[in-house]
Amino acid sequence: MRRMNWSRTVIYTILFFVSLAVLIPLLNLLALSFSSPERVNELSGLGILPKGFSLINYEIILSNPLILKSIGNSVFITIVGTLVNLTLTALTAYVLARTNFVGKNVVLIFLIAIMVFEPSMITEYLLVKNLGLLDTYASLILYKAINVYYLFILMRFFQEIPESLIEAARIDGAGHLQIFAKIVLPLSKPALATLTLFYGVYHWNEYFRATIYLTDPGKWPLQVVLRQFVVTQDNTTMLAGTDMSAELLASLDFGSLQASTIIIAVVPLLLLYPLILKYFTKGTMDGGEKD
Amino acid sequence: MNSTLKKMREDWILYLMLAPGITYFVIFHVIPIYEMKLAFENYRIIDENTWAGLEHFKVLFSSPAFMDVLQNTVIISTMKIIFIFPIPIILSLLINEVRSGPYRKYVQSISYLPHFLSWVVIAGIWISFLNPDGGINIIRNFFQLPSIDFMTSKDHIRWVLVFSEMWRSAGWDSILYIAAIMRISPSLYEAAKLDGASTLQQMRHITLPALATTVVTVFILNLGFFMNAGFDQVFNLMNDSVISKIDILDTYVYRIGLLNGQYSYATAASLFKGVIGLVLILGTHFLSKRFTGKGVW
Repeated sequence: MRRMNWSRTVIYTILFFVSLAVLIPLLNLLALSFSSPERVNELSGLGILPKGFSLINYEIILSNPLILKSIGNSVFITIVGTLVNLTLTALTAYVLARTNFVGKNVVLIFLIAIMVFEPSMITEYLLVKNLGLLDTYASLILYKAINVYYLFILMRFFQEIPESLIEAARIDGAGHLQIFAKIVLPLSKPALATLTLFYGVYHWNEYFRATIYLTDPGKWPLQVVLRQFVVTQDNTTMLAGTDMSAELLASLDFGSLQASTIIIAVVPLLLLYPLILKYFTKGTMDGGEKD
Repeated sequence: MNSTLKKMREDWILYLMLAPGITYFVIFHVIPIYEMKLAFENYRIIDENTWAGLEHFKVLFSSPAFMDVLQNTVIISTMKIIFIFPIPIILSLLINEVRSGPYRKYVQSISYLPHFLSWVVIAGIWISFLNPDGGINIIRNFFQLPSIDFMTSKDHIRWVLVFSEMWRSAGWDSILYIAAIMRISPSLYEAAKLDGASTLQQMRHITLPALATTVVTVFILNLGFFMNAGFDQVFNLMNDSVISKIDILDTYVYRIGLLNGQYSYATAASLFKGVIGLVLILGTHFLSKRFTGKGVW
């Protein structure tokens, strides 16, 4: 009994350090973003409490028209993109999961083939260019409009709806569209919530296609602007258009400004995190069970 | 034959419902895959492309730059498999031993979090945490070790890739193992406890054997993505000082293709990567079928 307690203490301690390893870099960044410019130099790389307290970094960042616009762009792309994803995925999943039609096997094999061979980013770019979709959000929304893995998750869920419910509706004279809209969709709310989060997180975090498809900085989503600032370290882009006195500019800490931009990009995910934990985790566990 | 046609006509609404999805797949998957024939052509902006045969592949395979990139891809993927793959398994075993509900929830929610951050955000976090005054160097200094500028150090940058990927994915990847452990019948543990088995013995003789199938499946799946080596990660953590150590196939294709405009040549590199990837996925699918009875799909 004693030995068991001892080993449990070791395990609890290891896991505590694991959680610190995840949290400290994040909390340090949070502290950096709220520290006052005069005292930020005192903040240690492991510090998790801000030195002094100031909102100046957030004021500067949120008064930058480029960033403000990019937040709006990201919200737009995420909402419209996710709606398109859900509509296309649900329609396709219903037909494949709940009906029998001539050619179904061909479609299923086709989908598996799509899973195992990805097109080149070069030919994808040329396609978007030839379709005249460069510098449009359609390019980002239509690229990955259906994720085959998510499609299969939804199909599995649709398959679990009892046949008797659908049969009853059919006897009442309901067609496929009605069965889809009035029975299958309402019964699949948890699965649709999971997929909304899957797709939503994908769109919010997407930066690469936006980098190559959108040349107009006014159209960039937040992740692209963030990348320009934090990874490319392009401070001019960040500060152009902000009306600041030279003194104020000189007093600012770029590390803190970058930190606050990162925090802004993470906040929506943190707000949704409880929901994400509830649905994502379940979705992934269920997904693992069948495989 | 007639009845088939009749059934198709009756089911017209199904084909209509399927049409948007299929149209999407044809336009955004089939066409760009078909267009990869560009690897055998010379790209022309105005005229029709001209036939190049295997010319681009010959140049590719005799190019030292391409060989370096190929080597980096293999080295980085191998390092990741060796050093990252076991971590989620260990983590799931540890988490499974936590009996306190709230503490378990705390550890799980925290360790899953990085999975939902974009690589742009993670790069920002790590660049800050690894800088010469950052958290990692403070810990090094505490142990009397000199500071290192990790992001520009050729000797360390691959380890930065390994550890940042571990930070991002270890927690989330433990979910599959935790799910597998939860399916183990509690009666097995009860019986072991009656026989006087310790926590460690229970782990070794009950939990680990029960995890074997999941471990093999996940390992095989990982092999299928071997040639990727983590494009988003490298793309965001790369800089001029370390490019020679971490330039991988996809970053190379991006640079020579999308930045330099050598579309045909870059597509040839892509096609090479795609074919190797396809062979790996098909190979692992059949291996998986053979050893675990379950395929990749």
